Amino acid sequence: MKRYTQIMLLAVMALLVRNLAVKAQDATEIMKKSHMAYYYAGNDGAAEVTMRLIDKKGGERIREFTMLRIDKADGGDQKYYTYFKKPSDVSRLTFMVYKSATGNDQRWIYVPSIDLVKPISADDKNSSFVGSDFTYEDVSGRHWTEDNHKSLPDGQIDGKAVYVIESVPKKPYKGFAKSISYIDKDTYLPLQEEYFDDKGEMIRRLHADKIEVIDGIPTVTVRSMENLKKGSKTIVEFSKITYNVGLKDDIFTERYLKTPPHEYIK
Amino acid sequence: MKKGLTNFSTKHPWLVISLAVLITAFFGAQFPKMKIDTDPQNMLKKDEPVRVFDEQTKENFALHDFIAVGVINDKGAFTPDQLNRIYKITEEIEKIDGVIVDDILAPSTVDDIKQGAGNAIIIEPLMAGEISTQAEADYILSRIKSNPVLRGKLASDDGKAIALFIPIQSKDMSNRIAGEITTITKQYGGGAKYHIAGLPVAQDSFGAQMFAQMAYAAPATFIIIFLLLFLFFRNMKVIIAPMVVAIMAVVWAMGLLILTGNTVHIMASMIPIFLIPIAVLNSIYIISEFHAHYKKNKHKDAAIRHSINELFVPMLFVSSTAAVGFLALAVTPIPPVQVFGIFVGFGTMVAWFLSLAINPAIGMLISEKTLHRFAEADDAHGPLARLLHFLRDYSASHNKGIIATAMAVVAISAVGLSLIVVNDNPVKWFKKSHPIRQADVAMNEHLAGTYMNYLVFATSGPDEIKSPEAESYIEGMQRELEKDPIVGATTGLPDIVKKVRYELFGADKSKMSLPKSQDEIAQMLFMFEMSGGNPDDLFKFVTRDYDQANLWVQLRNGDNQAVSKVIARADQYMAKNPPPTGMTVQWAGLPYVNVVWQKLMVSGMREALFIAFGIVFLMMVTLFRSLRWGLISMLPLTITVMAIYAFIGFIGKPYDMPISVLSSLTLGLSVDFAIQFIQRLRTIYSRTHDFKQSYHDIFEGVGRAIARNVLVVSVGFVPMLFSSLVPYVTVGAFFLAIMLVSGLVTMMLLPAIAKTFQKSLFPVMTKSDKQPETTHQVA
Repeated sequence: MKRYTQIMLLAVMALLVRNLAVKAQDATEIMKKSHMAYYYAGNDGAAEVTMRLIDKKGGERIREFTMLRIDKADGGDQKYYTYFKKPSDVSRLTFMVYKSATGNDQRWIYVPSIDLVKPISADDKNSSFVGSDFTYEDVSGRHWTEDNHKSLPDGQIDGKAVYVIESVPKKPYKGFAKSISYIDKDTYLPLQEEYFDDKGEMIRRLHADKIEVIDGIPTVTVRSMENLKKGSKTIVEFSKITYNVGLKDDIFTERYLKTPPHEYIK
Repeated sequence: MKKGLTNFSTKHPWLVISLAVLITAFFGAQFPKMKIDTDPQNMLKKDEPVRVFDEQTKENFALHDFIAVGVINDKGAFTPDQLNRIYKITEEIEKIDGVIVDDILAPSTVDDIKQGAGNAIIIEPLMAGEISTQAEADYILSRIKSNPVLRGKLASDDGKAIALFIPIQSKDMSNRIAGEITTITKQYGGGAKYHIAGLPVAQDSFGAQMFAQMAYAAPATFIIIFLLLFLFFRNMKVIIAPMVVAIMAVVWAMGLLILTGNTVHIMASMIPIFLIPIAVLNSIYIISEFHAHYKKNKHKDAAIRHSINELFVPMLFVSSTAAVGFLALAVTPIPPVQVFGIFVGFGTMVAWFLSLAINPAIGMLISEKTLHRFAEADDAHGPLARLLHFLRDYSASHNKGIIATAMAVVAISAVGLSLIVVNDNPVKWFKKSHPIRQADVAMNEHLAGTYMNYLVFATSGPDEIKSPEAESYIEGMQRELEKDPIVGATTGLPDIVKKVRYELFGADKSKMSLPKSQDEIAQMLFMFEMSGGNPDDLFKFVTRDYDQANLWVQLRNGDNQAVSKVIARADQYMAKNPPPTGMTVQWAGLPYVNVVWQKLMVSGMREALFIAFGIVFLMMVTLFRSLRWGLISMLPLTITVMAIYAFIGFIGKPYDMPISVLSSLTLGLSVDFAIQFIQRLRTIYSRTHDFKQSYHDIFEGVGRAIARNVLVVSVGFVPMLFSSLVPYVTVGAFFLAIMLVSGLVTMMLLPAIAKTFQKSLFPVMTKSDKQPETTHQVA
């Protein structure tokens, strides 16, 4: 009798462990799919971006830029080209990122007033992107393999069924101690992401404010990031989005930093 | 009224005492509702322009009050061990509740812009993690020295001192947080000396310590006064009344203060210490009078009635003049001083009323047997009596000399008054041996300063501060201010622009200058935001709209006088170099607020003093129904105020907040003796019509009461002379000085004047005196 109980217990435990493993696998898989849908839509893309940086007191600053992107491989390296239009005293300033899926990114800036291209070291992906509440990592994506993922019970965001995934960085990370992503079961787009510090307090929250289907690809066209600690918020609006435009790799070079490609940038 | 109250008290002693106890219990019940406020900012009205602008500046640039932590190692603080300890200490400080973690300035939290591999520009923490070699430590120091934003602020050029700036949510947390930081530095310290400085810590810990010291200073004063009274009257039961009156006056005043919703600020915490002596004074007159009368007639009821009857008018005037002195503080533009003045004034009148009600009531309850013993005890031949007799004879024989001396004192005092230097620095409210004072000295010697002022440059519209004109104007102001030796460093937007430009051009020294075009300035700033530094760091120096810039002006000295010089320098610069059209320039920051506060305080106090002086004079003329006597009665207080403040002028002690508040006390207390002396002298004279007799008697009854008061109050405050807080020592010294000077002037100058001008001051009273010539005898 005793022996029978032991076997039963072992069997139950084995089942539990297997189930957990399956769940864990699922969570990582979901995060990977979400990453693809969110950051690697199409082979390349172009868009006009308006960023509204809203401070605690409601004061607003505007950043307007054209953004070009080309992917080497899905889930792999990418290149970004950014051409600033506003604020007007920085117009014609350009910025380029070579995003490495595995190592450190490379960044360059072109400063028109002194006609100088300068590499910028990019050790800290957690730092603010052009003074907004978005970090560089929020813009180009944090690779899903950097965190351990775990499924939480499914939920709903804005009336849509979502997977709820909890992610904890494998290596201690300054940006957050834990995040929870709410991923649309249909499109795999993140509808909401919440970042927590090591005291368990939510520090930032991303929300997909508007989703449109562009060239057959579901795309978050308005997103906002709230910094709950500072009380600030950044709203990003994408317009004139095009996918698979056939961007050439040589646009993403120093030469084009100084002289922007007119076919894409007006 | 006087008869009614005394009759009632003597007929229903228990009822009167019960009623007083009941009312006291009611006011005492308010104490748990007490709200303590140690925020020095509340010394100013909420809508005082300087305070409004200071708060707005803090809000606009997300600035916080900060605690400066200094690490000083004379053998050099830049060693791996020391830096790693500081790294650890910073980590621990980040965990303290109330610390603004994102804004901490420390080697491990500040960003450094520099040249990276492959011609890249790189922004990364100055000290990204613990280090292991001396070369790394040296490198960190060299980076601080080459960065105009950090140099002198974070470390001294010789590498012996490192500073951490810990911003905190509000000033009233600084004492607690400073305590927690001390615990941390003790745990992880090693080798170096750790200091904690800054105005918020000084002002907040001062508030905290003041309350703590008040908790023992008030009872200590109370006990000493009690012991002295016992020494004089040798009867426990008799001296219960004055002590009860003192406690009740304090409880009523503090209770009403709390009940009316006022917070107990640093000033209000001093109310008990001011009220106790004032409350005791009245009772000493009553008991002295009672003693003299009872000794002769051995009739309790009659002695009580007689004493009150004799003393009612002088006591009323003594108390109301003291009250006027304090109530006049209500005209100062400083709310805690107003509250202080109003409630000490109220307490003074309560003490007067209770003296009249409680003394007779308690007197009635004391058995005749006890009173007999009390009456027998007599110090008519003790040292006090001998001193009084000496004064009596001396004042009569040297009357002209005394008057001449008094005139000389007034003349010399006028010189002393002109030497008074108005200056204050809350850090100096601590004695030199106090850790806060030592930290102040050590850190300001090594580093760019622990006092932070802000100079705000406002333009008329967004982006305008990025213009080359605006930037070079700010830069010019920086160079001008830095000429002042107490300005340790100035940090502003031009420094950031120049530093980014310098690094962009590959650390080219020739590019460490302001660009000529607005676009270039804008792009340098955009670079700063782009390149990964904390964008919030930038907005400590400029608004997000780029319409205002904030120049940090770090001072090594927080004396108002020194700060005023820096302000004057800025004013002169602006007079010579008018700002670009549309630009306004305005100061903010705690040292500046303190300067303005002091100005308001000094002018407010002056006004209060003059108003009180005028009212007291009118009251004296009314009381004595004589302009001449009114003038004479003002002499002790005038000479006392002049002599004390002249003394301050001569010894060079700065006229600061505590000293200015004490002027009203001086006025209120030093008129007391004159009223008692003159009123009683005239009463005795009108009864005897014998100047010689009157002159003789005045030194017996009232004279002894005055001498007792001088001793009780001045000795009662001796414990305060040993306080670690300078303003307390000042208060104690003032009580001592007021009592001694006004006592001496009353007992020497007034008799001398009476003697000298006898004929005109004591005219022959024909109504009841048929032999006028006898009154003309020389005493």
